[in-house]
Amino acid sequence: MRKLATILRYTAIAFICMLSLTPFVILTILALNTPKKNLYEGNMFIPEFYFGNFAEGWVKSNIGRAMINSGIITLLSVALIVILGAMAGYAISRFDFKFNKGIYGTLLCCMMVPGIINTVPLYTLMIKLNAINTLWGMALVCATLSIPQAVFVFTGFIKSIPVEIEEAAIIDGCSWHKIFWKIIFPLLKPAISAVVILNGFGIWNNYSQAVFFLQDRSKHNVPQALSVYFQQFAGAKWNLMAATALIAILPVIIAFLIFQKSLMKGLMDGAIKG
Amino acid sequence: MNRKKIGIHTFMALPAFLLFLIFFIYPLLRGIGMSLTDWNGISKANFIGLKNFIDFFKDKRAISDIRTTLLFALGSAPLLNIVGLSYALLMNSKFKGKSIARMFIYMPAIISPLIMGYIWSLLLQPGRGYIHHMLEKIGWAQGLGNWMSSYWSTMLVLILVNVWQYAGMTMVIYLAGLQSIPDELYESAKIDGASSIKQFKYITLPLLEPSIRINVVTNIIGSLSVFDVVMSLTGGGPGYQTETLSIYIMRMCYGSKTGYSTAVAIIMFFIILIPVIISLRLTRAKE
Amino acid sequence: MKRKRLLALTLSAATILSIFTGCSSENKKEESNKRVTIKLFTGKIETIDVMNEIINDFNNSQDRITVVQEYQKDASNIIKIKFASNEVPDIMTTYEQGFVDEGKYLDLSDQSQWWDRLSPAMKEACTDIKSGKQYRIATNMTMAGFFYNKEIFNELNVSIPDNWDDFVKVLEKIKTEKPEVTPWFIFGSEAWHLGHLIEFIPHGYLKSTLGTVEAKKAMLENDKSKLRFGEADGPMAKFAEKMLELQEKDLINKDVITANSDNCVQDFVNGKAAIFSNGMWVISSLLEANPDIADKIGFTPYPAYMPNSEPVVLSAEDSGYSISATTEHKEEAIEFLNFLFSAENQKKYSEALKAPSAFKDVQAQWAPTNIVDEVNKALDKAVNIGFTNEKPAGFSGDDAGRMVQELFAHKYTPESFAQSYEKSWDEGF
Repeated sequence: MRKLATILRYTAIAFICMLSLTPFVILTILALNTPKKNLYEGNMFIPEFYFGNFAEGWVKSNIGRAMINSGIITLLSVALIVILGAMAGYAISRFDFKFNKGIYGTLLCCMMVPGIINTVPLYTLMIKLNAINTLWGMALVCATLSIPQAVFVFTGFIKSIPVEIEEAAIIDGCSWHKIFWKIIFPLLKPAISAVVILNGFGIWNNYSQAVFFLQDRSKHNVPQALSVYFQQFAGAKWNLMAATALIAILPVIIAFLIFQKSLMKGLMDGAIKG
Repeated sequence: MNRKKIGIHTFMALPAFLLFLIFFIYPLLRGIGMSLTDWNGISKANFIGLKNFIDFFKDKRAISDIRTTLLFALGSAPLLNIVGLSYALLMNSKFKGKSIARMFIYMPAIISPLIMGYIWSLLLQPGRGYIHHMLEKIGWAQGLGNWMSSYWSTMLVLILVNVWQYAGMTMVIYLAGLQSIPDELYESAKIDGASSIKQFKYITLPLLEPSIRINVVTNIIGSLSVFDVVMSLTGGGPGYQTETLSIYIMRMCYGSKTGYSTAVAIIMFFIILIPVIISLRLTRAKE
Repeated sequence: MKRKRLLALTLSAATILSIFTGCSSENKKEESNKRVTIKLFTGKIETIDVMNEIINDFNNSQDRITVVQEYQKDASNIIKIKFASNEVPDIMTTYEQGFVDEGKYLDLSDQSQWWDRLSPAMKEACTDIKSGKQYRIATNMTMAGFFYNKEIFNELNVSIPDNWDDFVKVLEKIKTEKPEVTPWFIFGSEAWHLGHLIEFIPHGYLKSTLGTVEAKKAMLENDKSKLRFGEADGPMAKFAEKMLELQEKDLINKDVITANSDNCVQDFVNGKAAIFSNGMWVISSLLEANPDIADKIGFTPYPAYMPNSEPVVLSAEDSGYSISATTEHKEEAIEFLNFLFSAENQKKYSEALKAPSAFKDVQAQWAPTNIVDEVNKALDKAVNIGFTNEKPAGFSGDDAGRMVQELFAHKYTPESFAQSYEKSWDEGF
């Protein structure tokens, strides 16, 4: 009985994985075909293993620099989101004062506001701050957009951490500062990894805000570089488009793997100590 | 808890709030002001009171868009939760290749919506897409059919695509929640002789409450604000049949009805607010 | 103690912010003493490279002015946001009647060094009807009409006639004798394409029968007696009727609603589509997809579909430039444009764009000779019409195109289509 359950479980997982991977597989097949090959003639599933598309895509789309831009913006934003969000989550869940409640309510409400209301006034504001075409300006905007959800997540998680640990620390004479950074923050690892994963990739791939705030080609982030490249060179050249898209996805996948491993590990330690 | 002592720690939410105030609330307030005008983005704006709001409910296209948006969310949000939770439960045990599997499932969500749009059209275009050709080779040329020929089939495809793409995000939150549940609870339950189903019902679900809340709210908001998936697959078409509110707002904003589009955005806010409040009430912590 | 901490935090945050702000404004001050930077805003992706080349040449040839090009995919949308935030580029390729009326563009009428070198027809096309002045200058012309596969047509011994009923018969002949070929390929998933069909065929009828200037006036004033959009035998209803007829008789591709322009190009170069409507801008894609197709490409005007009308072909402005009325660098912008408009640069540009130059002194080989011949023949044969620049700001070409999508999706009868169209047109003002 147990074995059947395990087999079923593995089959289900394998099936879901295959389903999720389909576009990537197809992208890879496309990327490895020569430009001249018509996709649907001959064998649709086995490519010709032509790697020239990657080189051409890399050079022509300038995606290397775009990745650096996306990277800087994402790192800055995520750092802000995690630090500010966790701090806010802590204050809101532990110190039940009216203004903290007010902050929480406001953030929550604003999560439901469609982004387009802000477009023109925000653009004007960014101009006044000289923040257009700057990576830090873009990072601030992206961080702002993710703060409500991050605070929401952190508040929920901190609420479910029993207060006894902190109370014990207070009795021991620990300052709040120490309590937050040494005790709570490490326990938040699952929530932090969730927030990073949920928001980080969205920021890396942000297009709707980048279009306004990153205008110079030298400041374009990954989706912008891809969009320009697709329009300019690739046209119906699916091979080039697929190859470049894959290049763009690769760092994200690597980051994801790294993040997953280190945070899951921290989580295990936390669970044992608790 | 000694709450009487007020110190810097009570104000720890301020930095986040300040950032938000400057870059979101301030533009938002100015934007709300726009909704009471007839501004077309170019010439002077005139105050017209609530006319934009009244006009919205008279517009057939707008009402149809509300219908489409609600239908989409009704299909997408619950499905996202169910599928996400199932994935998380499946992934929550130790087995070889766990991280890889998790990554695979999450991957659709990390691709930029721009690229996904291209991929979807490559895959699903009726009569010409990759999947169509694949099915043709197997001999089932009618398999995909023209899914854009009827409203319901189009909506179904849109919902499925959205769920497929973002179930991974729901899964991540559920996983984080599942992993915060101490193993000892399960162990003692097993010792007491509780079945898996009982364990799920009395341990997992209640302790997952924060994750459920987060996911339900996030998915409602996300599904009601859907833009990229619909835009890249159907462009809101044919005509305006599958146009959602976000697409409508964008088109109005650039179509010289900027003041009006802000009003619609405010209306959309309330459309999102109501289900969110309801679901928050329903999932209130039952301690 | 703790309050001091909070104060320290806030101060440091403010300081950091101001440092950044300070830094950038410092740079700007320095720059204004040395060089002037002017921004060129464009939505034309196909000429980005040649423009970059010309811009680099300009920047390197002198040290007072630096030109920076900003490309945006949705340029006509983004420019609205820029205007709304008062951050307007110095030179832009986007042009809309609404902006003209609000005085957003610089009056270019006195730049005789340009107008003297342009064809009078082009000057007329650039003239704003309401004020009689020019607020933009277009360097190229573009044409649109039916592209057809000469090989198929020669084989079947047909050509595209001048009136619509005969045209339908030709389509039927193609269908019977070559069942695997789509007679007329319409890529209806792209709303702009359907919007163009409206601008060329029904609007084309108005423009050719009323005359260019009268038609423009009628549209700006929404003169219903002349436009007759809503009438059951008016241009819109008839257009809808013809389109539905083609769909019923299977003379257009079945997947009209989901087909895109790439599909069209592919099918055409593979001999699976006989005719499609498009403009000069598609020639590069055709030649890239299959260079051998060059001498098989035919071009012909749109047949007349209303009684007492003539075939029309689009001959309109392309690559227009406007200068912002509020620019601080008017002389520099004009200096750059003078450079851009030199015969040598325009020849380069024309050949990259694959569209003929509007300058009289530019001889460019903008496309393979036989295509150029076909296009010239079409221009001689039919009434030349322009784009519908006078449509209401709230009812764009895309919006009209989406209505046609609904038409193909059987949401309208010809009469209800005409009425809906008129209503949307009225509401767009």
